[in-house]
Amino acid sequence: MTKMGEPIIALLGQPNSGKSTLFNVLTGSHQHVGNWPGKTVEKKEGTFVHNKKNFIVTDLPGTYSLSANSDEEIITRDYIASGIADVVCILADASQLERSLYMLADFAGIETPAFLLLNMIDVAEKQGKKININVIEQKLKIPVIPFSAPRQNSYEAFYEALEKALTEKPILDTSSLQKGLESISNFNEILSLIPSGIILKYSPLWLATKSIEKDKKVIARVQEFQSEKQANDFNLLVNSINDGALKTGECKFTWIDSILKDSFIFKQTSISLSKFDKLAISPRWGKLIAVLIILLGLVLSFIPGIPFMAVGMSVPSMISPIIQEALTSIGCPVFIIGIICDILINSAGFCLAMIGLIFGVTLVFGLLEEVGYLARISYVFDKTMSKIGLQGKSIMPFLMSFGCNIGGATGARVIDNWAQRVLTIALAWAVPCSATWAIVPTLSSIFFGIWAPVIIVVIFAVMLLHIYLTSRIIGHFLIKQEDRCGLIMELPPYHHPKWKNLFKFVLDRVKEIAFRMYKVVVLISFVFWLLTYSSGDPSNSILSQIGKVIEPITLFFGFTWETFLAFISSGISKEAALGVLNSLYTSSQNLYSATFNGAAVTSNLQELLQNAITKPQALAFIFAITFNTPCIMAIVSTYQESHSAKWTGIIAGYYIGLALLLAFIVYHVGLLIF
Amino acid sequence: MKNLLETQVNEKVIIEKIEGDTRFISRITSMGITIGSEILILSNDKRTPLLVFARDTMIALNREDCKKLEVKQGNSK
Repeated sequence: MTKMGEPIIALLGQPNSGKSTLFNVLTGSHQHVGNWPGKTVEKKEGTFVHNKKNFIVTDLPGTYSLSANSDEEIITRDYIASGIADVVCILADASQLERSLYMLADFAGIETPAFLLLNMIDVAEKQGKKININVIEQKLKIPVIPFSAPRQNSYEAFYEALEKALTEKPILDTSSLQKGLESISNFNEILSLIPSGIILKYSPLWLATKSIEKDKKVIARVQEFQSEKQANDFNLLVNSINDGALKTGECKFTWIDSILKDSFIFKQTSISLSKFDKLAISPRWGKLIAVLIILLGLVLSFIPGIPFMAVGMSVPSMISPIIQEALTSIGCPVFIIGIICDILINSAGFCLAMIGLIFGVTLVFGLLEEVGYLARISYVFDKTMSKIGLQGKSIMPFLMSFGCNIGGATGARVIDNWAQRVLTIALAWAVPCSATWAIVPTLSSIFFGIWAPVIIVVIFAVMLLHIYLTSRIIGHFLIKQEDRCGLIMELPPYHHPKWKNLFKFVLDRVKEIAFRMYKVVVLISFVFWLLTYSSGDPSNSILSQIGKVIEPITLFFGFTWETFLAFISSGISKEAALGVLNSLYTSSQNLYSATFNGAAVTSNLQELLQNAITKPQALAFIFAITFNTPCIMAIVSTYQESHSAKWTGIIAGYYIGLALLLAFIVYHVGLLIF
Repeated sequence: MKNLLETQVNEKVIIEKIEGDTRFISRITSMGITIGSEILILSNDKRTPLLVFARDTMIALNREDCKKLEVKQGNSK
């Protein structure tokens, strides 16, 4: 309960149990997304009002069990046992009841009031399954409700069960589960060595079960409360049980079977794959279908982006002069006008241009996940992606990145394992986005004429090598040996998408990203604006001065001071690389507007560049900007999805370093060739 | 006794033995695969993970881990 006396409800369920849908419908737009303290796991909280009473809902991370195999699982179990939540709502998928009740069985023994929600009851009914709720309720001694998100009366039942759980504080009955567990030799002896009421709301039964499962965290915590002799005996007894986790697993499923016996009619023991699924999982056709669907999704996600891009790109340049004029006429200092027009308005336009794309990507990926197709993509690409230490789903962020790295980073959210998600984004950065493809061929043909295609091919080869090496290097630090596990995944049945809920989720997400992005873009713009501030000739700016001073060093890597500044700007936006070169070599435009407003390339740029830059330098420049960090928006998205400033920084530093190294190599190879 | 990879599509088998570390066992248990459970093989192709049906659920298992599961012939075909 909060200090204000508001009850707190925790939602607990396996992935695909419909937990997020319930959370979104309950809380509407009253949501807050943050991190669990000190962890990179997302914490979602929200509020709702029912009968004039305020409730807090915590959406716990979706995990398959409450063991100690991941941060998500430990956070989940410690939270529900902490007593912070007044009641736990456990979700199970009624269409896959037997398996999805495992969470309930793993929860059994945590003495927090609870109720059970059998979700997707409509799907189960369609399969011909009949569930006798009353029988289950009697066996479990907690409220049990059938639930279906589209059915309005489901919510009434939900509120009713919630109120009941809050007033009566029902605790899940574990007596028959305990009987099963007692058949494991030494179980009773272990149980008797655990004092009750010692750790949070974990009962001795729960602690004993986890100890047998060789849960190191639980064993260590129990031993804190034991005398030295007790702890020794406890250790001996626990270690005397081989395959403890297998035995308790059997007991838990036997218990589930005993609950479903006489309450569950029609047990599905067989299944045949649908025609589509036969193709979707076949090694040959499955990949082809997956690639086509992702590419179609990529195209579709750009469509909602177009109007936003048009507005975001054009409006700032339209309204800025008007505001500038108005402010000048009232005698506003030039510095303030610069901040308002160049930074605040310009950054807003920059963010707005990206919002549509983020909306599109989140929607398409969310849809693929919701209908259940995503798991099939993961399945067919498992073998390919496991070569670089990733799961099959990672193929999508890679393909998305050819369009846009922001899309790639945002799309990586569907990867449930944190380390793999961060590694996927880190590797997807190496994929050159459409903005890169817009300038690299131009630069290549200016300098290398008909040899330009060769450069493109080499870039592709370097990209593959980059991905391979980076997976080894970053993966080595990011993914611990014990976390490298093969695919064990559920392929959920196909579902109809719940459009309303999906749109809501996507809009909330976009809103949240947009604000965070705006803040970062304003900050970086401000720094960049100060550094590039010049009246008239852009080579007078601070950044240009610095560039000139360090030119002896940058030349070693193959950069003139002009190309080095363009390289730095390409980390803000890839299009900037050409715009900045143009402005520096023609002394025409302010560097800041050249970076943000793209390249207004002057007709004689080709000639100017050919005279100012040697071929090896041009080659170094092309490789450096291609493999530099993607734009700042993609970096912010990376932070958004990784929840880790540290890792976002490490990856960015790694890319800048590697881009410089590549430039160095390419430059010196170039010196030998040309 | 044979491991899970040595099965045919549409074959029904019963899990006899599960090997591997605690982590693996806890993952596979939470997916509903335990000793004595009956599973149906849906796809067994070297190029993709094994696909099985167990306890109402379609489950993909990577081929390396399948070697840790020993099975015997189920009751019915």
